Amino acid sequence: MMVISRRKWFFLLLAVLFAVLSACSSNSSNNEATSSPSDSQTPAETSEAPKETVKLKFMYWGSTDEKKAMEQMIKSFNESHPHIQVTGEHVPGDYNTKMNTLMAANELPDVAYLGDGLTNKWGSEGKLLDFSQYYDKYPELQNKLKASYLFTEPGKAVANFTALEIMVLYYNKDIFAEAGVSLPPSDPTQAWTWDEFVSVAKKLTKDNKGRNAEDPNFDAKNIDTYGFSFGTDRGTYGPLLESNGGGILDESGKSYALNEPESVEVFQKLQDLIYIHHVSPNLIQQQNMPDNHVRLQTRKVAMVLDGTWALLDLTNNKKLNYGIGVLPKLKEPKTVILAGTTVVFNSTKHPAEALEFYLYHNDPNQVDLYRTGLWMPTEEKYYTEEAAIKQWTDNPAHPPDFQQAGIEYTKGYAVKSPSTAIKNWPEINSKLTPGLDLIWTNKKTAQEALDELKPQIEPLIQGEYPNE
Amino acid sequence: MSRNKSGLLKMERRWGMLLALPVTLGLILFAIGPIIASFAFSLTDWQIGGQSSFVGLNNYETILTKDPVFTKSLFVTIYYVLATVPVAIIAAFGLAMLLNRKVKGLSIFRTIFFLPSIVPRIASTMLWLWLFNPDFGMLNSMLEFVGLPGSQWIYAEETAIPSIALMSVWGVGNYMIIFLAGLQSVPSHLYEAVEVDGGGAWRKFYHVTLPSMTPTIFFNMVMMQIGAFQSFDSVYVMTQGGPNNATLLYVVYLYRVAFTETKIGYASALSWILFIIIVVLTLITFRTSRKWVYYEGGGK
Repeated sequence: MMVISRRKWFFLLLAVLFAVLSACSSNSSNNEATSSPSDSQTPAETSEAPKETVKLKFMYWGSTDEKKAMEQMIKSFNESHPHIQVTGEHVPGDYNTKMNTLMAANELPDVAYLGDGLTNKWGSEGKLLDFSQYYDKYPELQNKLKASYLFTEPGKAVANFTALEIMVLYYNKDIFAEAGVSLPPSDPTQAWTWDEFVSVAKKLTKDNKGRNAEDPNFDAKNIDTYGFSFGTDRGTYGPLLESNGGGILDESGKSYALNEPESVEVFQKLQDLIYIHHVSPNLIQQQNMPDNHVRLQTRKVAMVLDGTWALLDLTNNKKLNYGIGVLPKLKEPKTVILAGTTVVFNSTKHPAEALEFYLYHNDPNQVDLYRTGLWMPTEEKYYTEEAAIKQWTDNPAHPPDFQQAGIEYTKGYAVKSPSTAIKNWPEINSKLTPGLDLIWTNKKTAQEALDELKPQIEPLIQGEYPNE
Repeated sequence: MSRNKSGLLKMERRWGMLLALPVTLGLILFAIGPIIASFAFSLTDWQIGGQSSFVGLNNYETILTKDPVFTKSLFVTIYYVLATVPVAIIAAFGLAMLLNRKVKGLSIFRTIFFLPSIVPRIASTMLWLWLFNPDFGMLNSMLEFVGLPGSQWIYAEETAIPSIALMSVWGVGNYMIIFLAGLQSVPSHLYEAVEVDGGGAWRKFYHVTLPSMTPTIFFNMVMMQIGAFQSFDSVYVMTQGGPNNATLLYVVYLYRVAFTETKIGYASALSWILFIIIVVLTLITFRTSRKWVYYEGGGK
């Protein structure tokens, strides 16, 4: 019989324990390996440490096309920077949840896309690299449009919008031509009034017998083509609130303003598009509809409200003959800048290399994503200097209308989405969304629903972040 | 010699402990550890990324007195449990009875009715999303075919929970199998006794099958009750708790608080409250079981 000696028994136990523990903390041991190579390696190797390639992790979201473009960008960066090795990880689905989990587990990447809400939150908690410390070393960090910075304290910029994006109107040109309706204006000064917009949408909405929404026999239960479809988030109500002088919070940023007349009007008008004018699909029909570019192409919808990032998918859809216009106005022609940020986490072991990658990843000279329509640059010269404008817009992804509906609209009529500056926005939004459902499902009028939201939202309001 | 004997004992003890180690360690590291940790978190105001400090029972107090969403999600969950458990028990029991008969192609039928339980939950949920589609889903087409008005199913506040309950009843295969096993162990001499006394099918069912099956019914009921309180995946995929929180099951709310609002402390407190609710309800079920569960051995 084999009898295990005390010592062997001890080692066995140790081995099992070690196996279990190391499986649990794989990450922390990895970190140590990269951060302090001298601990485990011979002195000879340590002296060569500076030449060792630095490994960075970059996380991002986006469509399949965006993923391809990102992979391309990462590849060319790695080729031109032999001492830095960036690994990209595309996260489909619920990105914020993923980031939250990684934050809780302390396994954050070095550089990552981030929603504006989380950027603000983590920025003010000191989790993000403060760019202003690096202005001397990397002067390019300061060259961006003011509206593209996120500040958590006056003068402390923790992030930049990855790219600029504004909300615009896209439409299928063929549907307009067949209906004999003039195209949506691309000149912001010529923006449709709401009534003009509704009347056009009615002409374009067709039931299954080909009657439009102005026809007295129009069958609202069997609609083949809707005039207009919109999302139910701040991308839709945001610009309209701006246009009408309304807002989620009032000027002081301290109290709830969605039940003020200017705001209520916006939500009521949107609800009416669905349930009074029958030109827009309801929430349920929308949830079962494909992406916007497919909606336009398959003639499910004639006009959609979407961000400028959609140009990439719209252009790649070769069966679609689309155009771009400005949003209808309520009082003033206005749109909002609504974009995600790219951040460098404070937990990175290699801030210098991370910033190098950061500056590269959205540099229009390096990255194709501007010419393909996904992004708009964050540097001012790309909106003012003729040659620079041409550099990124002289291509099929930017139809001629873009000069006005894109560039002019951004320069003169776009404001940073106020929600970007609202403190505690993720939590406010998670209460707002179910409350707004009552409007989108026609359970309540806009006034009733927004009044009901007041006591829920008010305790969550914590003011706003500074703008510079 | 005593030394030898104790050496063997010692060796057995060592080997026993060693072999039990993986399971024990797993339990400690992945179950007991997190359970204790979650209780500790529930006493703090920890938010992901932020500092945490000890707040005592503040989270519990806020949940129980100042959180309307908690109340709503609790009612939604209770509604869901009440809508699923009885229907699912009857459905699983009925199916098991049918599949316990000696008919041609029995194994094919058994396979068909068990099949939904093998389909991964997410896959079956996607399938039901299509069935529930109000515009071109199969359920509404069928209703239309027989001349009934369609429903908004999971997309309207009133019908959302019943729809999801309906879907979960579809996947009762596991419980059906347990019932089937129970049915097959009902002693046949009891049926023969009823036959000798001239009793028909109803008497057989009411006086033999049902009493003999009460332990199985009880077991399934407890399991289903716990499972229903913890449901998450289908709602997360289908409605994310909407419209207007009408399908905000407790665990979906917990998830939202933890990973959208990042309030881990608060979410941990929520999970402990759910734990207490389930324990209490299970205890109540056990208590009442003395009145209606019949064990052949006589004792409990």
